[in-house]
Amino acid sequence: MQCDQMTSQERWDALIAHEPVDRVPCLQFILGHTAVVNGKPIAKIYDDAAESLACQKNAMALYGHDGLIMHGWANAGGAEFGGDIEFPYRKYTGAPMMKKSPVQSEDDAWKLAVPDDILTVGTMPVALEFSRLQYESGMTVTVQVGSPLTWAGSVCGEERLMIWIMKKPELVHHVLRVITDFIKKKADHWIDTFGAERLMAFDLCIETNKLYSPKHFEAFGFPYLKEIHDHMTARGTAIFLSHICGEQNKNLPLWSQLSYGKRGMVSVGKEVSIAKAREMFPGIIVMGNVDPITVQEGTPEQVRELSRECIEDGKGHPGGFALMTGCEVPPQAPPVNVDQMVKACREFGRY
Amino acid sequence: MADEATILGQLKQAVMDGDEDAAVAAANEAVATGVDPQKAIMEGLAAGMAEMGRLYEEEECYVPELMVSSEALYAGLAVLQPLVAASGKAAKKGTAVIGAVQGDIHDIGKNLVKMMLEVSGIEVVDLGRDVEMESFIAAVKDANADLLCMSALMTTTIIAIKDYMPEFKAKLPGVKIMIGGAPLNQHLADEWGADGYGENAMEAARVAVRLLGA
Repeated sequence: MQCDQMTSQERWDALIAHEPVDRVPCLQFILGHTAVVNGKPIAKIYDDAAESLACQKNAMALYGHDGLIMHGWANAGGAEFGGDIEFPYRKYTGAPMMKKSPVQSEDDAWKLAVPDDILTVGTMPVALEFSRLQYESGMTVTVQVGSPLTWAGSVCGEERLMIWIMKKPELVHHVLRVITDFIKKKADHWIDTFGAERLMAFDLCIETNKLYSPKHFEAFGFPYLKEIHDHMTARGTAIFLSHICGEQNKNLPLWSQLSYGKRGMVSVGKEVSIAKAREMFPGIIVMGNVDPITVQEGTPEQVRELSRECIEDGKGHPGGFALMTGCEVPPQAPPVNVDQMVKACREFGRY
Repeated sequence: MADEATILGQLKQAVMDGDEDAAVAAANEAVATGVDPQKAIMEGLAAGMAEMGRLYEEEECYVPELMVSSEALYAGLAVLQPLVAASGKAAKKGTAVIGAVQGDIHDIGKNLVKMMLEVSGIEVVDLGRDVEMESFIAAVKDANADLLCMSALMTTTIIAIKDYMPEFKAKLPGVKIMIGGAPLNQHLADEWGADGYGENAMEAARVAVRLLGA
Protein backbone atom coordinates (compact mmCIF):
# COMPACT_ATOMS: atom_id res chain seq x y z
CA MET A 1 0.00 0.00 0.00
CA GLN A 2 1.35 3.39 -0.98
CA CYS A 3 1.84 6.14 1.59
CA ASP A 4 -0.15 9.33 1.46
CA GLN A 5 1.53 12.34 -0.12
CA MET A 6 -0.67 14.87 1.67
CA THR A 7 -1.89 15.29 5.21
CA SER A 8 -5.64 15.17 5.81
CA GLN A 9 -5.71 18.94 6.20
CA GLU A 10 -3.78 19.47 2.95
CA ARG A 11 -6.11 17.05 1.15
CA TRP A 12 -9.21 18.79 2.52
CA ASP A 13 -7.85 22.22 1.60
CA ALA A 14 -7.02 21.07 -1.93
CA LEU A 15 -10.40 19.41 -2.40
CA ILE A 16 -12.21 22.57 -1.33
CA ALA A 17 -9.94 24.74 -3.50
CA HIS A 18 -10.73 22.40 -6.42
CA GLU A 19 -7.05 21.61 -6.79
CA PRO A 20 -5.42 18.19 -7.30
CA VAL A 21 -5.32 15.78 -4.38
CA ASP A 22 -2.97 12.85 -3.92
CA ARG A 23 -5.77 10.33 -3.57
CA VAL A 24 -9.52 10.08 -3.14
CA PRO A 25 -10.33 11.61 0.25
CA CYS A 26 -12.35 9.63 2.76
CA LEU A 27 -14.92 11.95 4.27
CA GLN A 28 -17.32 10.46 6.79
CA PHE A 29 -20.53 11.24 8.58
CA ILE A 30 -19.11 9.64 11.68
CA LEU A 31 -20.78 10.73 14.89
CA GLY A 32 -22.02 8.10 17.35
CA HIS A 33 -19.28 5.70 16.26
CA THR A 34 -16.62 8.17 17.39
CA ALA A 35 -18.07 8.02 20.91
CA VAL A 36 -17.99 4.22 20.83
CA VAL A 37 -14.33 4.07 19.83
CA ASN A 38 -13.55 6.61 22.56
CA GLY A 39 -15.40 4.56 25.17
CA LYS A 40 -17.99 7.30 25.74
CA PRO A 41 -21.78 7.28 25.68
CA ILE A 42 -23.09 8.08 22.20
CA ALA A 43 -25.15 10.88 23.73
CA LYS A 44 -21.95 12.86 24.37
CA ILE A 45 -21.68 13.49 20.64
CA TYR A 46 -24.92 15.44 20.81
CA ASP A 47 -25.21 16.96 24.28
CA ASP A 48 -21.61 17.86 25.12
CA ALA A 49 -19.77 20.09 22.65
CA ALA A 50 -16.25 19.59 24.03
CA GLU A 51 -16.57 15.80 24.34
CA SER A 52 -18.11 15.61 20.89
CA LEU A 53 -15.29 17.51 19.25
CA ALA A 54 -12.65 15.52 21.14
CA CYS A 55 -14.23 12.18 20.18
CA GLN A 56 -14.48 13.16 16.53
CA LYS A 57 -10.90 14.43 16.40
CA ASN A 58 -9.59 11.29 18.11
CA ALA A 59 -11.46 9.05 15.69
CA MET A 60 -10.11 11.03 12.76
CA ALA A 61 -6.59 10.51 14.05
CA LEU A 62 -7.30 6.82 14.68
CA TYR A 63 -8.71 6.02 11.25
CA GLY A 64 -6.92 8.66 9.23
CA HIS A 65 -10.05 9.81 7.42
CA ASP A 66 -10.19 13.37 6.15
CA GLY A 67 -13.33 14.71 7.87
CA LEU A 68 -16.13 15.56 8.43
CA ILE A 69 -16.40 16.99 11.93
CA MET A 70 -19.84 18.33 12.75
CA HIS A 71 -22.67 18.61 15.26
CA GLY A 72 -26.12 17.61 14.06
CA TRP A 73 -28.52 14.78 13.32
CA ALA A 74 -31.25 14.10 10.81
CA ASN A 75 -34.29 14.27 13.07
CA ALA A 76 -33.42 17.74 14.36
CA GLY A 77 -35.59 20.79 14.90
CA GLY A 78 -38.26 19.56 17.30
CA ALA A 79 -36.33 20.41 20.45
CA GLU A 80 -35.79 23.97 19.24
CA PHE A 81 -39.57 24.51 19.24
CA GLY A 82 -40.14 23.00 22.68
CA GLY A 83 -40.34 19.25 22.03
CA ASP A 84 -39.08 16.62 24.47
CA ILE A 85 -35.83 15.15 23.27
CA GLU A 86 -34.06 12.00 24.49
CA PHE A 87 -30.33 11.77 24.02
CA PRO A 88 -28.97 8.31 23.22
CA TYR A 89 -27.81 7.01 26.59
CA ARG A 90 -30.01 3.90 26.56
CA LYS A 91 -29.13 0.57 25.00
CA TYR A 92 -29.71 0.38 21.24
CA THR A 93 -30.24 4.13 20.85
CA GLY A 94 -27.92 5.77 18.36
CA ALA A 95 -29.10 9.35 17.88
CA PRO A 96 -31.32 11.89 19.62
CA MET A 97 -35.03 11.08 19.42
CA MET A 98 -38.13 13.19 19.81
CA LYS A 99 -40.07 11.73 22.71
CA LYS A 100 -42.85 14.22 22.14
CA SER A 101 -43.09 16.59 19.22
CA PRO A 102 -43.90 20.19 20.10
CA VAL A 103 -46.84 20.30 17.68
CA GLN A 104 -49.63 17.92 18.67
CA SER A 105 -52.62 19.69 17.10
CA GLU A 106 -53.59 22.08 14.33
CA ASP A 107 -53.86 24.81 16.95
CA ASP A 108 -50.27 24.12 18.06
CA ALA A 109 -49.16 24.33 14.44
CA TRP A 110 -50.84 27.66 13.78
CA LYS A 111 -49.27 29.06 16.96
CA LEU A 112 -45.78 27.93 15.99
CA ALA A 113 -43.42 30.90 15.91
CA VAL A 114 -39.71 31.62 15.79
CA PRO A 115 -38.48 32.15 19.38
CA ASP A 116 -37.22 35.63 20.20
CA ASP A 117 -33.85 34.28 21.31
CA ILE A 118 -33.04 31.28 19.18
CA LEU A 119 -29.66 30.78 20.83
CA THR A 120 -31.10 29.51 24.10
CA VAL A 121 -33.64 26.98 22.83
CA GLY A 122 -33.31 23.21 22.46
CA THR A 123 -29.83 22.10 21.47
CA MET A 124 -28.77 25.50 20.13
CA PRO A 125 -26.39 26.24 23.03
CA VAL A 126 -24.50 22.98 22.38
CA ALA A 127 -24.42 23.60 18.63
CA LEU A 128 -23.09 27.12 19.12
CA GLU A 129 -20.47 25.98 21.61
CA PHE A 130 -19.37 23.23 19.22
CA SER A 131 -18.91 25.77 16.44
CA ARG A 132 -17.04 28.14 18.78
CA LEU A 133 -14.61 25.34 19.63
CA GLN A 134 -14.16 24.58 15.93
CA TYR A 135 -13.49 28.23 15.24
CA GLU A 136 -10.94 28.55 18.03
CA SER A 137 -9.19 25.40 16.77
CA GLY A 138 -8.80 26.95 13.34
CA MET A 139 -11.14 24.40 11.80
CA THR A 140 -13.90 24.76 9.24
CA VAL A 141 -16.99 25.74 11.22
CA THR A 142 -20.00 23.55 10.52
CA VAL A 143 -23.65 24.50 10.94
CA GLN A 144 -26.76 22.40 10.31
CA VAL A 145 -29.41 24.25 8.32
CA GLY A 146 -32.18 21.80 7.61
CA SER A 147 -33.77 20.51 5.68
CA PRO A 148 -37.02 22.28 6.62
CA LEU A 149 -39.26 19.38 5.58
CA THR A 150 -37.17 16.93 7.59
CA TRP A 151 -37.33 19.28 10.58
CA ALA A 152 -41.09 19.57 10.12
CA GLY A 153 -41.37 15.83 10.73
CA SER A 154 -39.58 16.33 14.03
CA VAL A 155 -41.70 19.36 14.92
CA CYS A 156 -45.08 17.85 14.02
CA GLY A 157 -44.50 14.10 14.10
CA GLU A 158 -44.06 12.32 10.78
CA GLU A 159 -47.51 10.76 10.52
CA ARG A 160 -49.30 13.96 11.44
CA LEU A 161 -47.21 15.89 8.93
CA MET A 162 -47.99 13.43 6.15
CA ILE A 163 -51.72 13.57 6.77
CA TRP A 164 -51.60 17.37 6.84
CA ILE A 165 -49.67 17.40 3.58
CA MET A 166 -52.69 15.67 2.05
CA LYS A 167 -55.45 17.45 3.94
CA LYS A 168 -54.07 20.75 5.29
CA PRO A 169 -51.35 21.92 2.92
CA GLU A 170 -51.69 25.54 4.04
CA LEU A 171 -50.92 24.45 7.60
CA VAL A 172 -47.81 22.59 6.46
CA HIS A 173 -46.65 25.66 4.55
CA HIS A 174 -47.09 27.73 7.71
CA VAL A 175 -44.95 25.27 9.69
CA LEU A 176 -42.32 25.23 6.95
CA ARG A 177 -42.34 29.04 6.83
CA VAL A 178 -41.60 29.27 10.56
CA ILE A 179 -38.92 26.57 10.43
CA THR A 180 -37.25 28.22 7.44
CA ASP A 181 -37.25 31.59 9.18
CA PHE A 182 -35.69 29.95 12.24
CA ILE A 183 -32.98 28.33 10.14
CA LYS A 184 -32.20 31.58 8.29
CA LYS A 185 -31.92 33.38 11.61
CA LYS A 186 -29.56 30.67 12.82
CA ALA A 187 -27.54 30.89 9.61
CA ASP A 188 -27.24 34.65 9.95
CA HIS A 189 -25.96 34.32 13.49
CA TRP A 190 -23.31 31.81 12.44
CA ILE A 191 -22.23 33.97 9.50
CA ASP A 192 -22.07 37.09 11.67
CA THR A 193 -20.18 35.30 14.43
CA PHE A 194 -17.72 33.11 12.56
CA GLY A 195 -17.59 34.60 9.06
CA ALA A 196 -19.09 33.10 5.90
CA GLU A 197 -15.64 32.21 4.58
CA ARG A 198 -15.08 29.82 7.50
CA LEU A 199 -18.46 28.10 7.23
CA MET A 200 -19.61 24.78 5.93
CA ALA A 201 -23.41 24.70 6.02
CA PHE A 202 -25.03 21.30 5.80
CA ASP A 203 -28.51 19.90 5.51
CA LEU A 204 -29.55 16.32 6.24
CA CYS A 205 -32.60 15.47 4.17
CA ILE A 206 -34.68 12.32 4.63
CA GLU A 207 -37.52 13.22 2.25
CA THR A 208 -36.97 10.02 0.32
CA ASN A 209 -39.19 8.68 -2.43
CA LYS A 210 -39.94 5.74 -0.14
CA LEU A 211 -41.99 8.26 1.84
CA TYR A 212 -42.73 11.30 -0.29
CA SER A 213 -43.52 11.66 -3.96
CA PRO A 214 -41.39 13.91 -6.16
CA LYS A 215 -44.42 16.24 -6.26
CA HIS A 216 -44.48 16.43 -2.47
CA PHE A 217 -40.78 17.26 -2.53
CA GLU A 218 -41.35 19.90 -5.19
CA ALA A 219 -44.19 21.51 -3.24
CA PHE A 220 -43.04 21.17 0.36
CA GLY A 221 -39.33 20.43 0.32
CA PHE A 222 -37.60 22.20 -2.51
CA PRO A 223 -38.89 25.80 -2.17
CA TYR A 224 -37.73 26.10 1.42
CA LEU A 225 -34.42 24.38 0.75
CA LYS A 226 -33.84 26.79 -2.12
CA GLU A 227 -34.61 29.77 0.05
CA ILE A 228 -32.00 28.72 2.61
CA HIS A 229 -29.38 27.78 0.03
CA ASP A 230 -29.92 31.07 -1.82
CA HIS A 231 -29.80 33.08 1.38
CA MET A 232 -26.57 31.56 2.60
CA THR A 233 -24.95 31.60 -0.83
CA ALA A 234 -25.81 35.28 -1.24
CA ARG A 235 -24.10 35.94 2.07
CA GLY A 236 -20.91 34.27 0.86
CA THR A 237 -21.04 30.87 2.60
CA ALA A 238 -17.90 29.02 1.62
CA ILE A 239 -19.14 25.42 1.48
CA PHE A 240 -22.61 23.93 1.26
CA LEU A 241 -23.10 20.21 1.81
CA SER A 242 -26.39 18.44 1.20
CA HIS A 243 -26.85 14.88 2.39
CA ILE A 244 -29.47 13.45 0.05
CA CYS A 245 -30.46 10.50 2.18
CA GLY A 246 -31.93 7.29 0.81
CA GLU A 247 -33.91 6.74 -2.37
CA GLN A 248 -34.14 10.21 -3.95
CA ASN A 249 -33.50 9.52 -7.63
CA LYS A 250 -36.71 11.26 -8.64
CA ASN A 251 -35.83 14.33 -6.55
CA LEU A 252 -32.37 14.80 -8.06
CA PRO A 253 -33.41 17.20 -10.85
CA LEU A 254 -34.53 19.65 -8.16
CA TRP A 255 -31.53 19.04 -5.94
CA SER A 256 -29.33 19.89 -8.90
CA GLN A 257 -30.98 23.32 -9.19
CA LEU A 258 -29.90 24.47 -5.72
CA SER A 259 -27.02 26.86 -5.15
CA TYR A 260 -24.19 25.33 -3.13
CA GLY A 261 -21.98 28.25 -2.16
CA LYS A 262 -18.43 28.72 -3.36
CA ARG A 263 -17.83 24.97 -3.15
CA GLY A 264 -20.67 22.50 -3.18
CA MET A 265 -20.80 18.96 -1.86
CA VAL A 266 -23.52 16.34 -2.09
CA SER A 267 -23.51 12.96 -0.43
CA VAL A 268 -25.80 10.24 -1.69
CA GLY A 269 -27.10 7.00 -0.27
CA LYS A 270 -26.54 3.59 -1.80
CA GLU A 271 -29.86 3.97 -3.63
CA VAL A 272 -28.41 6.69 -5.89
CA SER A 273 -25.59 5.49 -8.09
CA ILE A 274 -22.36 7.42 -8.19
CA ALA A 275 -22.75 7.63 -11.97
CA LYS A 276 -26.17 9.26 -11.56
CA ALA A 277 -24.84 11.68 -8.94
CA ARG A 278 -21.95 12.64 -11.23
CA GLU A 279 -24.37 13.29 -14.06
CA MET A 280 -26.64 15.46 -11.92
CA PHE A 281 -23.89 17.38 -10.10
CA PRO A 282 -21.11 17.90 -12.64
CA GLY A 283 -19.42 20.82 -10.93
CA ILE A 284 -19.51 19.90 -7.29
CA ILE A 285 -18.03 17.29 -5.01
CA VAL A 286 -19.89 13.98 -4.97
CA MET A 287 -19.55 11.79 -1.90
CA GLY A 288 -20.74 8.26 -1.32
CA ASN A 289 -21.97 5.70 -1.11
CA VAL A 290 -20.81 2.56 0.70
CA ASP A 291 -23.78 0.69 2.17
CA PRO A 292 -23.84 1.41 5.93
CA ILE A 293 -25.42 -1.95 6.71
CA THR A 294 -22.51 -3.72 5.08
CA VAL A 295 -20.16 -1.57 7.16
CA GLN A 296 -22.00 -2.75 10.28
CA GLU A 297 -22.90 -6.33 9.44
CA GLY A 298 -20.49 -7.27 6.66
CA THR A 299 -16.90 -8.41 6.59
CA PRO A 300 -13.82 -6.22 6.06
CA GLU A 301 -13.44 -7.83 2.65
CA GLN A 302 -16.97 -6.83 1.67
CA VAL A 303 -16.42 -3.25 2.82
CA ARG A 304 -13.15 -3.13 0.92
CA GLU A 305 -14.83 -4.35 -2.26
CA LEU A 306 -17.74 -1.90 -2.00
CA SER A 307 -15.26 0.90 -1.35
CA ARG A 308 -13.20 -0.08 -4.38
CA GLU A 309 -16.29 -0.03 -6.59
CA CYS A 310 -17.30 3.43 -5.32
CA ILE A 311 -13.82 4.80 -5.82
CA GLU A 312 -13.61 3.48 -9.36
CA ASP A 313 -17.03 4.95 -10.14
CA GLY A 314 -16.26 8.32 -8.62
CA LYS A 315 -12.58 9.19 -8.76
CA GLY A 316 -12.75 10.69 -12.25
CA HIS A 317 -15.53 13.11 -11.37
CA PRO A 318 -14.52 16.60 -12.57
CA GLY A 319 -16.25 18.22 -9.61
CA GLY A 320 -14.30 16.14 -7.11
CA PHE A 321 -15.09 12.90 -5.34
CA ALA A 322 -14.77 11.60 -1.80
CA LEU A 323 -15.50 8.13 -0.47
CA MET A 324 -18.13 8.01 2.22
CA THR A 325 -20.76 5.73 3.67
CA GLY A 326 -24.21 6.25 2.18
CA CYS A 327 -25.41 7.65 5.50
CA GLU A 328 -23.92 7.96 8.98
CA VAL A 329 -21.29 5.39 9.87
CA PRO A 330 -23.26 2.97 12.07
CA PRO A 331 -22.33 3.66 15.69
CA GLN A 332 -21.80 -0.04 16.40
CA ALA A 333 -19.85 -0.82 13.22
CA PRO A 334 -16.75 -2.95 13.77
CA PRO A 335 -13.73 -0.61 13.69
CA VAL A 336 -11.94 -2.96 11.27
CA ASN A 337 -14.71 -2.32 8.76
CA VAL A 338 -14.55 1.46 9.12
CA ASP A 339 -10.80 1.24 8.76
CA GLN A 340 -11.19 -0.53 5.43
CA MET A 341 -12.62 2.58 3.80
CA VAL A 342 -9.51 4.68 4.39
CA LYS A 343 -7.33 1.77 3.35
CA ALA A 344 -9.32 1.45 0.14
CA CYS A 345 -8.76 5.13 -0.64
CA ARG A 346 -5.03 4.60 -0.26
CA GLU A 347 -5.03 1.39 -2.29
CA PHE A 348 -7.45 2.25 -5.11
CA GLY A 349 -7.86 6.01 -5.00
CA ARG A 350 -4.45 7.24 -6.01
CA TYR A 351 -4.36 10.04 -8.62
CA MET B 1 -81.16 2.92 -2.67
CA ALA B 2 -77.85 1.75 -4.17
CA ASP B 3 -77.25 -1.91 -4.90
CA GLU B 4 -74.51 -4.00 -3.29
CA ALA B 5 -71.99 -3.64 -6.08
CA THR B 6 -72.36 0.12 -6.03
CA ILE B 7 -71.88 0.30 -2.26
CA LEU B 8 -68.81 -1.92 -2.39
CA GLY B 9 -67.44 0.36 -5.09
CA GLN B 10 -68.15 3.41 -2.94
CA LEU B 11 -66.34 1.86 0.03
CA LYS B 12 -63.35 1.04 -2.14
CA GLN B 13 -63.27 4.49 -3.70
CA ALA B 14 -63.62 6.25 -0.34
CA VAL B 15 -60.51 4.45 0.91
CA MET B 16 -58.62 5.25 -2.27
CA ASP B 17 -59.63 8.91 -2.00
CA GLY B 18 -58.72 9.03 1.68
CA ASP B 19 -62.22 10.33 2.35
CA GLU B 20 -63.28 9.42 5.89
CA ASP B 21 -66.75 10.94 5.59
CA ALA B 22 -67.46 9.04 2.37
CA ALA B 23 -66.20 5.81 3.96
CA VAL B 24 -68.54 6.23 6.94
CA ALA B 25 -71.45 7.15 4.67
CA ALA B 26 -70.89 4.13 2.44
CA ALA B 27 -70.47 1.87 5.47
CA ASN B 28 -73.74 3.13 6.92
CA GLU B 29 -75.44 2.56 3.60
CA ALA B 30 -74.06 -0.96 3.52
CA VAL B 31 -75.61 -1.59 6.92
CA ALA B 32 -78.92 0.00 5.93
CA THR B 33 -79.22 -2.07 2.76
CA GLY B 34 -78.24 -5.32 4.40
CA VAL B 35 -74.87 -5.86 2.74
CA ASP B 36 -72.93 -8.51 4.64
CA PRO B 37 -70.54 -6.44 6.79
CA GLN B 38 -67.71 -8.94 6.36
CA LYS B 39 -68.14 -8.65 2.59
CA ALA B 40 -68.29 -4.86 2.85
CA ILE B 41 -64.99 -4.87 4.71
CA MET B 42 -63.14 -7.32 2.50
CA GLU B 43 -64.56 -6.41 -0.93
CA GLY B 44 -65.00 -2.71 -0.20
CA LEU B 45 -62.62 -1.19 2.32
CA ALA B 46 -59.87 -3.79 2.15
CA ALA B 47 -60.07 -3.90 -1.63
CA GLY B 48 -59.47 -0.15 -1.68
CA MET B 49 -56.46 -0.47 0.58
CA ALA B 50 -55.10 -3.35 -1.48
CA GLU B 51 -55.37 -1.18 -4.57
CA MET B 52 -53.50 1.62 -2.80
CA GLY B 53 -50.84 -0.89 -1.82
CA ARG B 54 -50.50 -1.92 -5.43
CA LEU B 55 -50.17 1.72 -6.49
CA TYR B 56 -47.50 2.25 -3.81
CA GLU B 57 -45.49 -0.69 -5.06
CA GLU B 58 -45.71 0.75 -8.56
CA GLU B 59 -44.64 4.17 -7.23
CA GLU B 60 -47.96 5.67 -8.29
CA CYS B 61 -48.68 6.79 -4.75
CA TYR B 62 -46.61 7.40 -1.63
CA VAL B 63 -46.87 7.17 2.13
CA PRO B 64 -48.94 10.34 2.70
CA GLU B 65 -51.61 8.93 0.38
CA LEU B 66 -51.48 5.62 2.24
CA MET B 67 -51.88 7.50 5.52
CA VAL B 68 -55.09 9.23 4.54
CA SER B 69 -56.40 6.03 2.96
CA SER B 70 -55.78 4.22 6.22
CA GLU B 71 -57.75 6.90 8.07
CA ALA B 72 -60.69 6.32 5.76
CA LEU B 73 -60.28 2.56 6.13
CA TYR B 74 -60.41 2.73 9.91
CA ALA B 75 -63.38 5.11 9.81
CA GLY B 76 -65.32 2.56 7.75
CA LEU B 77 -64.14 -0.32 9.92
CA ALA B 78 -65.45 1.46 13.01
CA VAL B 79 -68.94 1.14 11.55
CA LEU B 80 -68.70 -2.37 10.15
CA GLN B 81 -66.42 -4.33 12.47
CA PRO B 82 -68.78 -4.34 15.50
CA LEU B 83 -71.44 -5.91 13.32
CA VAL B 84 -69.08 -8.63 12.15
CA ALA B 85 -68.07 -9.35 15.72
CA ALA B 86 -71.71 -9.47 16.83
CA SER B 87 -72.61 -11.86 14.03
CA GLY B 88 -69.90 -14.29 15.08
CA LYS B 89 -68.84 -14.60 11.45
CA ALA B 90 -65.41 -13.02 11.85
CA ALA B 91 -63.00 -15.10 9.80
CA LYS B 92 -59.71 -14.62 11.61
CA LYS B 93 -56.62 -15.92 9.86
CA GLY B 94 -54.46 -15.69 12.97
CA THR B 95 -53.14 -13.34 15.62
CA ALA B 96 -50.01 -11.23 15.35
CA VAL B 97 -48.11 -9.15 17.90
CA ILE B 98 -46.31 -6.20 16.38
CA GLY B 99 -43.97 -3.48 17.64
CA ALA B 100 -40.92 -1.33 16.97
CA VAL B 101 -38.03 -2.64 19.04
CA GLN B 102 -36.33 -1.05 22.03
CA GLY B 103 -34.66 2.26 21.25
CA ASP B 104 -36.67 2.85 18.08
CA ILE B 105 -39.49 5.37 17.94
CA HIS B 106 -40.00 5.20 14.18
CA ASP B 107 -43.35 3.53 13.63
CA ILE B 108 -44.76 4.68 10.30
CA GLY B 109 -43.76 1.46 8.60
CA LYS B 110 -44.89 -0.62 11.55
CA ASN B 111 -48.30 1.07 11.49
CA LEU B 112 -48.68 0.43 7.77
CA VAL B 113 -47.83 -3.24 8.28
CA LYS B 114 -50.36 -3.41 11.11
CA MET B 115 -53.04 -1.99 8.85
CA MET B 116 -52.26 -4.35 5.98
CA LEU B 117 -52.28 -7.34 8.33
CA GLU B 118 -55.68 -6.27 9.62
CA VAL B 119 -57.16 -5.88 6.17
CA SER B 120 -55.77 -9.34 5.40
CA GLY B 121 -57.88 -10.76 8.20
CA ILE B 122 -55.19 -11.07 10.85
CA GLU B 123 -55.93 -9.83 14.35
CA VAL B 124 -53.12 -7.55 15.53
CA VAL B 125 -51.92 -6.66 19.02
CA ASP B 126 -49.92 -3.46 18.60
CA LEU B 127 -47.30 -2.86 21.30
CA GLY B 128 -46.31 0.50 19.81
CA ARG B 129 -42.68 1.56 19.71
CA ASP B 130 -39.58 1.26 21.88
CA VAL B 131 -40.66 -2.26 22.91
CA GLU B 132 -38.40 -4.38 25.10
CA MET B 133 -37.88 -8.07 24.47
CA GLU B 134 -39.77 -9.18 27.57
CA SER B 135 -42.82 -7.19 26.51
CA PHE B 136 -42.93 -8.97 23.15
CA ILE B 137 -42.71 -12.36 24.85
CA ALA B 138 -45.42 -11.56 27.38
CA ALA B 139 -47.75 -10.18 24.71
CA VAL B 140 -47.34 -13.20 22.45
CA LYS B 141 -48.15 -15.52 25.35
CA ASP B 142 -51.09 -13.41 26.52
CA ALA B 143 -52.62 -13.27 23.04
CA ASN B 144 -51.65 -16.83 22.17
CA ALA B 145 -50.32 -15.24 18.99
CA ASP B 146 -49.17 -17.14 15.91
CA LEU B 147 -46.94 -14.40 14.56
CA LEU B 148 -44.50 -11.87 16.02
CA CYS B 149 -43.53 -8.84 13.89
CA MET B 150 -40.65 -6.53 14.77
CA SER B 151 -39.53 -3.35 13.05
CA ALA B 152 -36.42 -1.20 13.31
CA LEU B 153 -35.28 1.81 11.30
CA MET B 154 -31.87 2.54 12.80
CA THR B 155 -28.60 0.70 12.44
CA THR B 156 -28.38 0.62 16.23
CA THR B 157 -31.87 -0.80 16.72
CA ILE B 158 -31.59 -3.57 14.16
CA ILE B 159 -29.06 -4.97 16.64
CA ALA B 160 -31.95 -5.35 19.09
CA ILE B 161 -33.69 -7.61 16.58
CA LYS B 162 -30.57 -9.72 16.28
CA ASP B 163 -30.28 -9.89 20.07
CA TYR B 164 -33.96 -10.78 20.58
CA MET B 165 -34.07 -13.63 18.09
CA PRO B 166 -32.41 -16.42 20.15
CA GLU B 167 -34.66 -15.64 23.12
CA PHE B 168 -37.77 -15.68 20.97
CA LYS B 169 -36.76 -18.95 19.38
CA ALA B 170 -36.23 -20.49 22.81
CA LYS B 171 -39.25 -19.06 24.60
CA LEU B 172 -41.83 -18.87 21.82
CA PRO B 173 -41.63 -22.22 20.00
CA GLY B 174 -43.97 -22.47 17.07
CA VAL B 175 -44.44 -18.73 16.76
CA LYS B 176 -43.46 -17.35 13.36
CA ILE B 177 -41.23 -14.29 13.45
CA MET B 178 -41.18 -11.53 10.85
CA ILE B 179 -38.89 -8.51 10.68
CA GLY B 180 -38.90 -5.32 8.66
CA GLY B 181 -37.49 -1.83 8.43
CA ALA B 182 -35.44 0.22 6.00
CA PRO B 183 -31.95 -1.05 6.98
CA LEU B 184 -33.00 -4.71 6.85
CA ASN B 185 -33.09 -7.12 3.97
CA GLN B 186 -33.87 -10.74 3.20
CA HIS B 187 -30.23 -11.74 3.70
CA LEU B 188 -30.17 -10.43 7.28
CA ALA B 189 -33.59 -11.95 7.97
CA ASP B 190 -32.29 -15.34 6.87
CA GLU B 191 -29.01 -14.95 8.72
CA TRP B 192 -30.74 -14.03 11.97
CA GLY B 193 -33.30 -16.82 11.72
CA ALA B 194 -36.46 -14.85 10.97
CA ASP B 195 -39.25 -16.74 9.26
CA GLY B 196 -40.26 -13.80 7.11
CA TYR B 197 -39.28 -10.38 5.85
CA GLY B 198 -41.21 -7.76 3.94
CA GLU B 199 -39.64 -5.09 1.77
CA ASN B 200 -42.77 -3.00 2.34
CA ALA B 201 -46.10 -3.26 4.17
CA MET B 202 -47.87 -4.91 1.28
CA GLU B 203 -45.26 -7.60 0.90
CA ALA B 204 -45.19 -8.07 4.67
CA ALA B 205 -48.92 -8.84 4.67
CA ARG B 206 -48.52 -11.36 1.84
CA VAL B 207 -45.66 -13.07 3.69
CA ALA B 208 -47.67 -13.09 6.93
CA VAL B 209 -50.66 -14.75 5.28
CA ARG B 210 -48.34 -17.34 3.76
CA LEU B 211 -46.62 -18.04 7.08
CA LEU B 212 -49.98 -18.50 8.78
CA GLY B 213 -51.06 -20.88 6.04
CA ALA B 214 -54.25 -18.92 5.71
